[in-house]
Amino acid sequence: MKTTTGRGPAFLAFLAVALLVLPLVMHDTFVLRVLTEGIMWVGLAIAFDVIAGYTGYLNFGHGAFFGIGAYTIAVLMMQANLPFALALPAGGLAAGIVAFIAGVPTLRLKGAYFAIATWALSRAIQQLALNLDFTGGPDGMRLEAFLNPQFFYYLMLITVGLTFAILWYLLERAPFGLKLKAIREDEEGAKALGLNPTKLKMQAFILSALPTGILGGIYAYWITFIDPSSTLGDLVSDQAVVMVVFGGMGTLFGPALGAVLIFAFKTIFWAYLSDFQLLYLIILGALIAISVIFIPNGLWGTLVRRKADRPRPERAPAAVVAPEEGN
Amino acid sequence: MAEPILKVASLTKCFGGLTAVDDVSFQVAQGEIVGLIGPNGAGKTTLFNVISGYYAPTKGSVVFQGADIGGKPPYHLAGVGIGRTFQVVKPFAGLTVLENVVIASFLRHPKRADAERQAWQVLETTGLADRAHVSAAGLTLAGRKRLEISKALALEPSFLLLDEVVAGLNPTEADRTVELIMKLKEQGLTILIVEHIMRVIMNISDRLVVLNFGRKIAEGTPAEVCGDPQVIQAYLGEAAA
Repeated sequence: MKTTTGRGPAFLAFLAVALLVLPLVMHDTFVLRVLTEGIMWVGLAIAFDVIAGYTGYLNFGHGAFFGIGAYTIAVLMMQANLPFALALPAGGLAAGIVAFIAGVPTLRLKGAYFAIATWALSRAIQQLALNLDFTGGPDGMRLEAFLNPQFFYYLMLITVGLTFAILWYLLERAPFGLKLKAIREDEEGAKALGLNPTKLKMQAFILSALPTGILGGIYAYWITFIDPSSTLGDLVSDQAVVMVVFGGMGTLFGPALGAVLIFAFKTIFWAYLSDFQLLYLIILGALIAISVIFIPNGLWGTLVRRKADRPRPERAPAAVVAPEEGN
Repeated sequence: MAEPILKVASLTKCFGGLTAVDDVSFQVAQGEIVGLIGPNGAGKTTLFNVISGYYAPTKGSVVFQGADIGGKPPYHLAGVGIGRTFQVVKPFAGLTVLENVVIASFLRHPKRADAERQAWQVLETTGLADRAHVSAAGLTLAGRKRLEISKALALEPSFLLLDEVVAGLNPTEADRTVELIMKLKEQGLTILIVEHIMRVIMNISDRLVVLNFGRKIAEGTPAEVCGDPQVIQAYLGEAAA
């Protein structure tokens, strides 16, 4: 990827090593807990961006996949006595299957209509969890407690790290990412070039839902208590939207950056200004308005563009003649 | 006449009560350039959209290389060798010129490196190589029309549908595009072209098909068609005919 030439890979390697050794030298469980959740949000934001940023379908029901994963794991572990290792992939699978079923009618819609339909779908799923017996209704579900913060930190880190690596390969290296962008830019035009939009959009939707379900499952086992408002509420979707829009849609680094910054802001706000929760939502709303108006490409998109606008130093000529851009 | 690559038979396309294409039949031979002309609203673009799979025919058939393709989706037709451009150009505005073409190259070259190599070749042919890294949104109209052709060519089609790729260009740009079309013909491509600019269409077409109000009113060499009273009437009105 052209934005990570030179210092990029070195920085990523450093970050990975630092995150891996951190729990060995640092034993503050509060900090570990905050980091675990921060990493989870990075995963949720990049998974959301597959369908929203790359494909251009703003999914306001992303939180539903998270909740479906959480509930699948809770039900399988508590009602069917399945071990966590078996229940976890089932959580991802369940989210993927729901994405497939929901995608058939909703992916025909565009723009605001798709956003409304996915939002309605997430409301419907929340109502299901509220009214069904095996989900515990409004009381939610309590899971067997497994109190090992290190375990959850590493599980979250590895899951998000793998998700990032797989998405980076598929979206930035393999043809898949460019094909999705073609659909985002002009669906009718993409058809003439041999692309089947229905199939590609479905693949993107499932690819977005799968890791989200798995993250929801880890979250459920980690927090040990889930209910319809915490895992199936609006906040998961809304926060994912803000993180991605603020960070930069249609990239992987943008949403990751947005997730880190907004989650850090939220944590600090919660720690020092917990009496003003309404203010947090107001700031969140203002932030999305400001970023849409002033930095439509998001933080990352704006930074990369600035960099690209500067005259580039001479680079070793590639195999093909690649003249300088712009005239 | 060589073996026809495309056979359109009694093709009709209705939108509700409006018959946009009415019982049109014609054939295109291998290696030929056929021009499709007619006044505004004659049904040229609708006919293009049926042949390229954007609309299903109401009646009649479209046979390409022996297979009935009527109603097959556009992405399937790209696979069997039909490339098209759009009169209202459809660049992927947020992507670079190279990326735009690479997306089309994936059809025949699934590996990214191969696709990029082929895309560079196409851009060399169409004269856009020096704009490869520019955002497609930053191209002039002439550039966008060339990008349309580039994308269609990257599909490595055997049959090319060009919808007004010359209209709107200045004379120099128009000449360059005509040169490009002639070069493609030499390479063995079969071309069906819609164009309003008579100077261009008369020069490059081997044969012309003339539409008016959705019906075919004439067919033949440019010279034959020019002398046809029905064509003159359609273009210039009753008094001239």
